Order: sequence, then C-alpha cells, then structure tokens
Amino acid sequence: MDIQNTQSQMRKGVLEFCILSIIRQGEVYPSDLVERMKSANLHILEGTLYPLLTRLKNAGLLTYRWVESNSGPPRKYFVMTDKGLEFYGELERTWQELADAVHALTQPPPYSSSEETQPQP
Amino acid sequence: MIPIEESAYDMLKQYVESLRKFFANEEGRDEIINDIEGRIAELFGESLKKGSTCITEDDVNKIIESMGRPEDFEGEEGKVHSQLGGEGTSDKGTSYDYANTAAPRGRLYRDSTDKILGGVCGGLANYLRVDPTIVRLVFALISFGAGTGILLYILLWVILPSKSLEHTSSAKRLYRNPEERVVAGVASGIASYFDIAIWIPRLIFALPLVLGIIGNIFRHAFWYDGDPFPGIVFGSFGGTLFVVYAVLWAVIPEAKSASEKLEMRGEKVDLNTIKNTIQEDLEGFKTRAEKWGGEFKDRAQEFGQDFGKTMGQKGQQFGSEAGSAVRRGGSRFLRAIGIMFKAFFLFIAGIMAFALLVTLLAFMVAGVGVFPLKNFFLEGFWQNFLAWTTLLLFLGIPVIAFITWLIRRIMGVKSGNRYLGFTFGGLWFIGLVCAGILAASIAQNFDARARDKQDYTIAQPKTGKLIVKVPDSKVKVYGRWFQMDGILSMTDDSLVMNNVRLHVVKSADSIYHITAYKYSNGADESSAVRNVNEIHYGIDQQDSLIYLDRGFSLQRGTKFRNQAVTVTIQVPVGKKIVITSSVNRQLTYSFHFGGRNNDWDFDEDWNNRYESWSSDVEYVMTPGGLERTNKIKNEDGNDDGDNSEKSAIEKYKKSKEDLQKEYDKKQKEAEDLKKELDKPVDSTKYHYKKAVSYNPSQDTKGKSTNKAGAEEESNISSEASRMLFMQMVL
Repeated sequence: MDIQNTQSQMRKGVLEFCILSIIRQGEVYPSDLVERMKSANLHILEGTLYPLLTRLKNAGLLTYRWVESNSGPPRKYFVMTDKGLEFYGELERTWQELADAVHALTQPPPYSSSEETQPQP
Repeated sequence: MIPIEESAYDMLKQYVESLRKFFANEEGRDEIINDIEGRIAELFGESLKKGSTCITEDDVNKIIESMGRPEDFEGEEGKVHSQLGGEGTSDKGTSYDYANTAAPRGRLYRDSTDKILGGVCGGLANYLRVDPTIVRLVFALISFGAGTGILLYILLWVILPSKSLEHTSSAKRLYRNPEERVVAGVASGIASYFDIAIWIPRLIFALPLVLGIIGNIFRHAFWYDGDPFPGIVFGSFGGTLFVVYAVLWAVIPEAKSASEKLEMRGEKVDLNTIKNTIQEDLEGFKTRAEKWGGEFKDRAQEFGQDFGKTMGQKGQQFGSEAGSAVRRGGSRFLRAIGIMFKAFFLFIAGIMAFALLVTLLAFMVAGVGVFPLKNFFLEGFWQNFLAWTTLLLFLGIPVIAFITWLIRRIMGVKSGNRYLGFTFGGLWFIGLVCAGILAASIAQNFDARARDKQDYTIAQPKTGKLIVKVPDSKVKVYGRWFQMDGILSMTDDSLVMNNVRLHVVKSADSIYHITAYKYSNGADESSAVRNVNEIHYGIDQQDSLIYLDRGFSLQRGTKFRNQAVTVTIQVPVGKKIVITSSVNRQLTYSFHFGGRNNDWDFDEDWNNRYESWSSDVEYVMTPGGLERTNKIKNEDGNDDGDNSEKSAIEKYKKSKEDLQKEYDKKQKEAEDLKKELDKPVDSTKYHYKKAVSYNPSQDTKGKSTNKAGAEEESNISSEASRMLFMQMVL
C-alpha cells in the first residue's frame, strides 16, 4: 500500500477548494496564490495551478483581468464569479461535513466499552 | 529581449514542448501555455534585475523546478479521463489524436519522455517510424550477442540531444497484455500484435521446452544413447527460447492504459473506442489510476533529487541524467530481475511437476512393457483385476489429468469445471487403494519360504582340481521373448530365472561334493514346497570341468515366487578349484568363500561377508579356507598356477641372492675405499680424530686398521667386518 499515493489523493481532494477560498477573499494572481498557499503549508506547483485555474475559468467559476506590470509581462488577476461563489458554498458545506466526520471518527472514545456494561456501584 | 544562453534556451524550448505535448488536448491549452510562458518571462526579468547578465541553464532549471514537470502536475493523470469527464468541457467529439507540434521529424533525437534508460531507442524508433519496443529488442539482442551494442548505446546517449517527441499513435505497438496472461502476458501481447491466435506464440515458447524435457527423460528412462527427439537441438533451443521470453518480458511494456491497450490491438485511438475499452474493464480502472499516481510521485521525488545537483556543461547534464536514469532504470531493472527470478522459480516448479508426471508415465509404460510377465506374477482373478485398476487409476489418472491441464493452459481455456478435479482425485484415490490391496495380496503370496536340497553325484577329478564354468544359455529362446538383463528371460512356454549363486566351502571329508539348495516362497508351507519342487537345475561334468546351468527354468504355470538356487561346492583340503570368468559373467551375483556348510537364509549372508575374488585363478583349500595358490602374482592373475611351496622356496632363494649381491657390492666398496686410504695421505685432506664411538665387536673380529681413527675408515672397517661376519654365518 503506497502511502504517498493516499497522501496525494487527500491533497488533490482539497486543492480546488483551497484555491477557491483564496480567490474568494479577493482578486489574486497565480504566483501570489502559490505564495499564499505555501505560507499556509500547502505546497502546489505552478504547473499544476495554471491548468487548474484555466479549467475553473472555462467552467465559469472564475474570471480575470489583465494588469500591466513594470517588471515584466502583464499579469492575470483572478476573481470569483457568482457561479463560482455558489460552487464554493457547496464545497464549503461538503468540507464541513467531511471535517466533522473525520474529526468524529479519529477521536478516541471518551470511555471504554467494558466500563459501560458494568453495573454502577 | 531577454539574453539567454543557448543551452539554457534549448532547455527552455524543450520544457515548453513537453508542456505543449502534455496539454495537447486540453481545451485551454494555448492559454495555459501562454500563462506559463508569461510567468517564466516574469521570473527571467526578476533574475536579470538581480544582476545577472543573461539567463543561464541554472536559472532555467530552477524555474522548471518551481513550475514543475508535466508528469508532476497533480490532477492531470489520465488526460483521457479528464477529457471525457471534464466539467463543462463537453466533448466536442474531437478525434483523439496527438496534435502536430512544430518538431521537425527529420532529425534524430533521444526521446525524453519515452525512455527506459536514456531514450535512445525511443528516439531512434521515432525517427524510423518504428515501434520503440522493437528497437529496444534489437538493441538488447545486439548487446547480448556482441556487447558492442552497449557501447553503441552509450555513444548515442552522449551524442544525441534529448527532446520530447510525439508519437503517431495510430501505429500498432507491441505491448504485453496484462489481462490474458499465463506467466507475463508476453505471448498474449505478441499474439495481439501479429493478429494471431493466442495459443500459437504460447506453443512456440512452450513446445521446444516440453519436447526437450520429454526427450531427456525418455533418454534416461530407457537407456537410449540416441535421442528419440534431437534432444540436443531442442534442449538448447528451448533454453534459448526461455531467455528470449525473459528478455521480452523485461523490455516490452505492459499495456496499462486504455490507449495503450488500443494501441496494442492496433485500433484507432479515438474517443468512442476508448469509451468502449474503458467500459470493458471498469474494475481495473481505479487501481491503475492509483498506480499512476504513485508512479508520478516517485518520479517527482527523483526529479527533485536530480535538480538538487549543480549542473553546468552538457557533460554534467549527461552525468545527472545518467544518474537519474540509472536510478529509474535501476528500480526498473530490479523489478525486471525480480520478475525474471519469479519466472525462473515458476519455471523450475513447472519442470518439477512435469518431470514427476513424466516419471509416472514412464512407470506406466514400463508397466505395460512388463505385461508379458504378468502371468508369472499374479495369481487368481482378483490380483489381475487389481493390477489393471492400479495401472489405470493410480498411474494413468495423473498423466491424463496433467495432459488435460496442459492442453487447457495452452489453449487459454479457463477451467470452470470444479468437478473435474474432484473426479480425477477420487479416481486416483481408488487407484491408490487398489495398489495397496494389490501389494498386500502379492506379499501374502510370499509368506512362507521353503528349501530343498539336491545332491549331485560327481566323479572325483583326476587332476585334483575342479574347474567351474557356466556354458552359454542352454535354453535356446526362439520367438517372442522378453529379457531383463541378468535376472530372467522368458519364452512362450517357460521362464528361466538366473537367480543362481555359487558357494565354495571346505569339504568335511576328503572328496569333492556338489549340492544345490533350492528356495522358494509361497502363500503357505505346502505351496512353498510345491514351488520348490518345480525348480529344475542341472549340472554337467566332464572330467574336471563342471558346467553349471545358467539359470533354472520354471514351467509356465508356475508363478514367480522369488525362487533361488545356491550351488555349494565342497572342496577337500589340499585340493584345488578354479572359477572361470564365465561364472562371473553369467551368474547373477558373485560368491564368497567361507567355512559354513549350509546357509539357510542366504540373502543376508551375502551382505555380511564379501570377499573379492578373481576369475580364472587357481585356489587351493587349506584348513583355514580357500587361498590363492600363488600369492605373489598380481591382481590380473594370469598365471598358470604355481605351487605355493615352490614359490616360497623361490622367494627364499631370491632373498638369499639379493643378500649375496649386496654383500658383494659392499665388499667392493670396502676394497675401493681401502685402496684410497693406502694412498699417500695429504695431511690437509683428512682430519684424524680419535674415534669416540667404538664397536668393541669390531676389534675381536675384523682386520680393522682403525688405529688412527678416521671416521671414514672406521665406518668402512665396520662395514667390512659386518660383511665378514655374515660370510662366516653363511
């Protein structure tokens, strides 16, 4: 059983959601997004990000605008659309459910079962 | 304009190409590429701003590292699936063909994506428009054959630039088929590639092997020196095929993805066919995807490690590339080696199982061959019946079962019938029981053993010596016969057994006696006695020649019950006996000399006391047993039988002669030395010394002139005196 595989699956599951939450907070350009994620200790390759953003954009969840820059070529700044907001809401609900479930399952039980069956003195 | 090193530029171009290829079917491909290029340009700008004059390879590498290589992109595995299931990107029914890139096809590159070691074969294949697996195979063959292939490979590895090349996926590629496999799916993949039935390549691989093994086993079982099949050819050919199979296993990639599977079959790789293929094996889907994810992770790690090193020149690049490839190839090689080991063990297990069953087959054949003897061995209806059932069930069933299994495997038929196995097992078990009963029944026939004694009257030989011979078979065998060397032979109406042994003992009186003891087993006393009386053994005498029959004959109705005959020749003391070589040749076992007159259980005797003896050698009976007449002669004993007394005298004479010679020699020596001593003495030559150890006997006997006491002189004189002494004695 390859643990890295499982770990990567876990990551992949939440990537989209994390990206969308960052963009929801305000318009952002891709490399900045990478930095923000890095600071939250969730590393992502730019090569992964660009296609993802493009797909989200093509799905109508994001939109962008060009911003001229002095230090180089113009940059794309992404913002969330209404549709994206809706989509995000769904994801947030799902995430919450998931988080609660996992939290519940990974907690040790407060008492052992044998105690339960013994009659109280 | 961004100033950039040429090598760095190459690298960049290459990277972008790989991205292009990767996103070939992505709807927003151009956009993505542009975004990424833009980002790269931005990073270049920053680097230049920091103070570097131009972009180096180092910079490019760092950028590529941070951007990531296509295979590392998450969420990108199986571009096929995302294509089909992409949200919002409704399939426009575009045909799934790899887009043309700007890569010129005329040049020979190393393929950076399709590579096992360095991508040499992949690039070569692309250039030649051939399936890379074929190229790899050719390379492997050359390497195995001459070794120069490896050098050539390394040469190409260094020289050729690496580049990600695209494939024309409509070409049919040779893969291994992981679904339909006996060992590794090699045969199955080959069958798909060539569009032939599956069992054909399987048979090609299996047949020489199987034939070779059968040939070898038959050869050993039946003592042929010539092979029923040209075993040498098949033996080595089969072995070669095995090696070929293993190489193919390692080299030919497994058709894992749907597109690969379609490529394997040579079908057009477009959306619809892919859909069908995926629907065909939906189960393996998930596992395959997970495997990919794992693989990408592995490669990402390796990749990261690679780029941790410093790179500069092309040589350095090659070095690191080689390192990563070796690691990658290393794990692949290890896997391949592991697979080869697995194949080897499977092979050995298969061989063992097969050999076991062929042995059973040989037994069965032998059983059939022994058939004519059946009537001599088995008694009564039940034994016969049991024998037949044993033969068929105990021996025959495993053979049939194995053949059935083999045919099924070769044909690729899955055996769904459970009951077949049970049926076979049940029948075999019955056969086993029958064999047991048969053995018990037969053993019961041997319960009792009887012995009879038969005296032969012989005339005492005038020469005082008996010569024992066995003539060639008196019983002429015509017609159908069966012979087991040295044990028994059979004609239509009688059986001749050679179970005769010769025993030579000391006679109680002063004349020769010959007796024969006949033994036989039987179910009980009376039948044993009856069997004994059936034995007929004859002895002929011609003056001093005794002819022993080679064997005794049994009437046809008599059963084999371990009949045996011991011929005992009693030799009186002082008389002689010669056992000719014909005895050794014709009678089954050798015999021994001993003092015992009768042995009831002669079987154990042979094991206890065994003396070596020689044919055609004269022996004389002494009170202590038989002894050779002439003891001094060599082992091959081609002597005419000297008298032992004579030889003793001769020996005595000889020793006396030797002593005489020695004495003469020493005498001469003494004289010589004496002469020397008489010469005028050079004082520097001899050192006169008082003799310390002095033999007093010398004084009284010899004419020793040892006043001066030179050592030599005293030695000489003592010798001389000894000689004189001896002379006196003699």
